[in-house]
Amino acid sequence: MIEFKAVKKSFDGKPVLLDLSFHVEPGEIYTLLGPNGAGKTTAINILTGLLTADTGTVRVHREAVAETTRRQLGVAPQEISLYQDLTCRENLAFFGEVFGIRGAHRDRRVAEVMGALGLDPWAGTPIAELSGGWRRRVNLAAALVPEPPALVLDEPTAGLDIESRHHLWRLIEGLRASGVAVLLTTHLLDEAERLSQRIGILDAGRLVAEGSISELRQRISAAQVAEIVSDDEDSVRDRARREGWRLRRYAGRLCVWLPDRLDFPLLVQRLEGVPVTSVSLHEIGLEHIYAELTAGFEEPSPPRDRATVSAAAAAPGRSPAR
Amino acid sequence: MVRHFQETETIAHRVLLEMLRSRRSLVFWVGFPALMLLLFGLIYAGRGELGPSFDRTAPGILIGAALFFSCLGGPVAVIVGERERGTLRRLLTSPLRPGAYFSGIVAAHIAIALGQAVIVFAIAALFGGRYRGSVALGGLILLLSVCSYVGMGFYFGARFSKRTEDVNGPVAAFGVPLLVLGGTFFPAELLPPFLLKVAYFDPIYHMNAALKPVWAQGAGWSEVGLHVLCLLLFAALALALGTRAYGLMLTRERAS
Repeated sequence: MIEFKAVKKSFDGKPVLLDLSFHVEPGEIYTLLGPNGAGKTTAINILTGLLTADTGTVRVHREAVAETTRRQLGVAPQEISLYQDLTCRENLAFFGEVFGIRGAHRDRRVAEVMGALGLDPWAGTPIAELSGGWRRRVNLAAALVPEPPALVLDEPTAGLDIESRHHLWRLIEGLRASGVAVLLTTHLLDEAERLSQRIGILDAGRLVAEGSISELRQRISAAQVAEIVSDDEDSVRDRARREGWRLRRYAGRLCVWLPDRLDFPLLVQRLEGVPVTSVSLHEIGLEHIYAELTAGFEEPSPPRDRATVSAAAAAPGRSPAR
Repeated sequence: MVRHFQETETIAHRVLLEMLRSRRSLVFWVGFPALMLLLFGLIYAGRGELGPSFDRTAPGILIGAALFFSCLGGPVAVIVGERERGTLRRLLTSPLRPGAYFSGIVAAHIAIALGQAVIVFAIAALFGGRYRGSVALGGLILLLSVCSYVGMGFYFGARFSKRTEDVNGPVAAFGVPLLVLGGTFFPAELLPPFLLKVAYFDPIYHMNAALKPVWAQGAGWSEVGLHVLCLLLFAALALALGTRAYGLMLTRERAS
């Protein structure tokens, strides 16, 4: 339904997209993940016709992106792009008409979409008087009125509370189930993990990995991650080296990548003699995969003068604990 | 062609709906010209007859206090608002054609101009004023005036204004001197000769010079034809400049 093939794009000679290729099938949610500046927005702008690719092809429904493909593509931008003085119903009717939907057909679609998104109580309320969560729903609803077979959702739940976010997730899953091809961008890894059938990780304009969560997990040579909090990180490093564990620092936390699965008591036993404040054991999640593939981890600094830490030296209350 | 008209109607309808919802601009666009017409009508009447005074005052007020703010300031506000809200960018990802967006805004302002003309005419009539000229000629002058203003509005909106706060600056700095030079609030005959020569390059001068005699004296094409032709040139130039600035703005908006 949506296809990028060897797409390149540069701005002022600076490459932003390098041979980007991926596709989104009908009934699939494909998430583009990547740090700021990775090229996600550029890719979406090319898909929506705002920009043109330097080389390569972008197709929607097997047709190269052009004015005609815009009818096939619903776009819910990240910022709330609605008319503040118009009511919810008037906004949806307007965006329906812009896509050529008029008269009774428009009214029926507006009513259907409002019903599906729970907007009926707010039909006659100006957007300016709605809360952020409801505005975001209307922002999505405006993209749904023309019944597009493909959708681009740019951070659709940004700034929403948990409840609203879950509601929108259910809606997006419902759209996928009805056969819509959804291209999603988000900074929320739990959102990507929950919604996506496949994820593409974009870094510096390149697609560095692509696949389902389980396929991406296989690209990481670790079975589990232990997060260790210690005042004596050098001791942790020493132990990790001795055990053959890889060390990473992620979001300020010291993490140990365990090549084989370990029970928690066994992990605690292997840390015997290392003064730690807390230890927690995690399955490899998207945040670990993402950070590893986009070099989001910093390697810990090399050890200072090593001091042997015996089990007896560990202060009370500093033994490994979950 | 049908699609173009439908899209134009969609945009015009939305612009008018937004204007109706925004009571402040509605009050301003109706209240301000009404008040100005009353004031100038009464001032020029002095102790004489009200009717002839309102005949002479109404066209200037329509051009200077009504159309100037609605049709020059209006498109600037529409464009800047669309850019600020991100709706312009959203529309660029839709099948809506940029030409239909442009003509939709022009159509909306023609409708607003007609409404303002009716209000100004009604107030003048209340005080004994009367429209004496050809309706077709008056309509043509009005249409060319609206096109000149809207073209300039697109130009300023697309070139100089990025935020709502920026709207009034270019309109006031550029537009108000043109209003004064154009003989809107006092007869152009009062201008010194060298300023009168400069005024020939001011579209508002030709709007006044064409509409005032048609409205108040029933002048025909032979008397005002030259001013109408000048106005036609200005309207074409303003729309050409506005279209070009609009095209450049869309290119910038797509790349932003």
